[in-house]
Amino acid sequence: MEMITCRNLTHYYGKRLIYENLSFDVPKGRILGLLGKNGTGKTTTINILSGFLKPYAGECRIFGEEVQSMKPTTRREIGMLMEGHVQYTFMKIEQIERFYAAFYPKWNREVYYELMKKLQVAPHQRISRMSCGQRSQVALGLILAQNPELLILDDFSLGLDPGYRRLFVDYLRDFAKSENKTVFLTSHIIQDMERLIDDCIIMDYGRILTQQPVNELLGKYYHYTFSLTAECTLDMQQLIHPSVIRNRVEAGSFLPPEEMRSLLEAHAVPFVDLQGNHVSLEDVFIGLTGKY
Amino acid sequence: MDKFGKCFFVFTLLVLLLWLVPWTYRFVTARSVKYPFMLYSGLIDNFAVLDHTDGETVYKDLAGNVYTEAQFDSILPLFYYRQLIAEERLPDTLQGIPVSPRTIQMGNFIFRTTPMTVNAHAVPLYFLLESMSGRVDLEMPDDVFRVSRRMEFVDMATNTVKEEKSRLFTDMLQKKGFVFPARLVAGNPTTRKDYDEGYLMVDAAGKLFHVKQIKSRPYVRPIEVPEGIDIQHLFLTEFKDRKSLAFLTDSENRFWVLRTKTYEFQRVEIPPFDPKTMSLSIVGNMFDWTVTLKDGAKEALYAIDAYDCKCLASYERPVPKASLASSIGKYIFLVRMQFNSDISPDIFPVLKVGQW
Amino acid sequence: MLVFFYKEWIKTRYFFLIALVLSVLFCVYAMLNINRVIELKGAAHIWEVMLQRDAIFIHYLRFVPLLMGAVAGMMQFVPEMQQKRIKLTLHLPCSSLHSLGAMLLFGAGLLILISLVNLLLLDIFLLQHFAVELVRRIILTGIVWYVAGLAAYFFTAWICLEPTWKMRVFALLVAVAVLRIFFISETPEAYNAFLPLLVVYTLLAASLPFWSVKRLKDGKQD
Repeated sequence: MEMITCRNLTHYYGKRLIYENLSFDVPKGRILGLLGKNGTGKTTTINILSGFLKPYAGECRIFGEEVQSMKPTTRREIGMLMEGHVQYTFMKIEQIERFYAAFYPKWNREVYYELMKKLQVAPHQRISRMSCGQRSQVALGLILAQNPELLILDDFSLGLDPGYRRLFVDYLRDFAKSENKTVFLTSHIIQDMERLIDDCIIMDYGRILTQQPVNELLGKYYHYTFSLTAECTLDMQQLIHPSVIRNRVEAGSFLPPEEMRSLLEAHAVPFVDLQGNHVSLEDVFIGLTGKY
Repeated sequence: MDKFGKCFFVFTLLVLLLWLVPWTYRFVTARSVKYPFMLYSGLIDNFAVLDHTDGETVYKDLAGNVYTEAQFDSILPLFYYRQLIAEERLPDTLQGIPVSPRTIQMGNFIFRTTPMTVNAHAVPLYFLLESMSGRVDLEMPDDVFRVSRRMEFVDMATNTVKEEKSRLFTDMLQKKGFVFPARLVAGNPTTRKDYDEGYLMVDAAGKLFHVKQIKSRPYVRPIEVPEGIDIQHLFLTEFKDRKSLAFLTDSENRFWVLRTKTYEFQRVEIPPFDPKTMSLSIVGNMFDWTVTLKDGAKEALYAIDAYDCKCLASYERPVPKASLASSIGKYIFLVRMQFNSDISPDIFPVLKVGQW
Repeated sequence: MLVFFYKEWIKTRYFFLIALVLSVLFCVYAMLNINRVIELKGAAHIWEVMLQRDAIFIHYLRFVPLLMGAVAGMMQFVPEMQQKRIKLTLHLPCSSLHSLGAMLLFGAGLLILISLVNLLLLDIFLLQHFAVELVRRIILTGIVWYVAGLAAYFFTAWICLEPTWKMRVFALLVAVAVLRIFFISETPEAYNAFLPLLVVYTLLAASLPFWSVKRLKDGKQD
């Protein structure tokens, strides 16, 4: 069952194309990460999904309902985390819990307070006086207490130090997997994503680079290095973002090592010392999107 | 709601444009119109004109005669009598009647009413002066009165009703047939006048009463109003000559003088005058009055015989040619919005179509 | 509805308490001033001035409600716009008519309450010194300023919630021009006839913030 279906999303800001014909589905129980560098349209997609942006073209459905005309009560089942863990900072920990509890019939305040206990902050501490990491836990706690079927998280890693990031990821993964929840998230920090997401969409400016389960991606992608014995051009389509430093070449590819060797030979590339390795998601990301 | 909000925004914008754009245009292009000063002269049986336009002063009359300044003083001896006295040129008699500086001064008056003052929200509380205190100078009282279900005096220092005085006046009014509450109350509650005539009131039944305070006692006199006069506006005159008690207009916008002592009504021969929309000013002397009637941009002068109120002469000022800017404005701004009014201090939105 | 009041109360309670105290202090100042004139020149003098000239002796209060309304709007909606926090509110499982409506009702309600406290205080004080006709005149003149304050509140909410700067500046100009209408004349009771229309207009102006929110939801931005 698809929780989110987006078909042919196209959006412009003024004349600048953000992306064209972006389509994806998020099935129930999956965690999908929309990965991309800054400015590739991650937040745009989140805004379209949460109904704060009318796409130029295309449509977006959550639980089968068109987002723009969604019934307010449907939003009970959607948890949203804004970029930077924005919350009502003028409220205190207990006040904000009381506020949100009124809106959600499935509200689970124990989950929230369990998380707050770990934070070593008093219940009457104002959120504005907390660190970014502590705030992220408040925001997470609120979403977990809401207990929605679908979570939409915009760049939750923003501003978090590694400890809080790991805490967040672990909590989220545990929650999603144990309760069969669906998650759609974006991130520009790829560390930790491997631990969290099932599927990924990697975006570049104006287009999608790849869209597949993380395991498949990691299994198919190779990071190659080899040395050149003479000058030559490397303009093969299968070599992704090749970089040459002195005579050492680094490149990514979805070709397995034997095929890579044949390819290089077929193009009469004067290479020695070819090595192909599986790498981490972060390296795959950099390999696909380039360093620049 | 959001659709309504958008419509509401468009509506607001429209109102602001209709208001501010013509207003700005007017503000930038406005020219003030100055009319020459005119007074009726019984000596030449015509209006004398003092024209300041174009920078220099020209003394003339409507027949086209041009005068020197000294000649001009002479044809308006009752207006310029102090100048004539200074030059020892004041005649002993005018129109066969002996005059003196004192009789001239007694006969002169200036009266003025504008729609602005008539349409202003007046507080229905009035000062009743003592008409016969035995003192030379008039004094303001320490109380005010209202005429609601009775005539009620309120002491200002304590803000309490003076029961005794209220009863005294109410009883007297009722005895004379006054029906409460009053429809109109008119007086000049000021000490800067020579004498006090109290108030004229029209009661709920439309009858007219003269109410004064004489030696702390009420003086109430019902005044017979001739058939067909339904009084709309009352102006107590209290001029030095004591010949008139009040000016008034009726429902047909006729302008009347109410004479003192005889309480006789005399129709002033001028066209219909509605104090709510028109200005009227009178520069009067013992022989004649120059009445200026202003209705928007239209202005007309009437010379009225001070004795029988008949019209001696009249003159309608030519409406000054509209400036180019204003003629253009008329076509550009077919519809405009106005909050201010030339005839009322009230702020109220008025849509003007085809009017500039 | 009540839960929104709870949130708005936490956010703005200090402001509204201060606004209440300050506005009451202004009223008290106006009263003390009247008392002083009465002591120096006598009650009769002040009555005369009020009856014969266009004086009402509470002109200090003229722009107080306006300021109060504008600051109330800012106190309530600037925090919502910081980091687009309003999205949290709009994401709640209720319509924006409900959520924004409750927020506006809260602000407008408290402003009206403060206005009533002000006017009631003035009324009680003035009735001790002046005839009911004079008090009526003063209050009728003053009410317009309080309605202007409410209008300023709705306009400020509209301007704050507007997502684009271009439109925001334009909205500000429109708001200033409209609010000017409330202050064209200083003549007492000049707005008597206009007042009902102004009240209706002001209440309808509460629809403008909803339009801003709709634009925000459509993703309008500079």
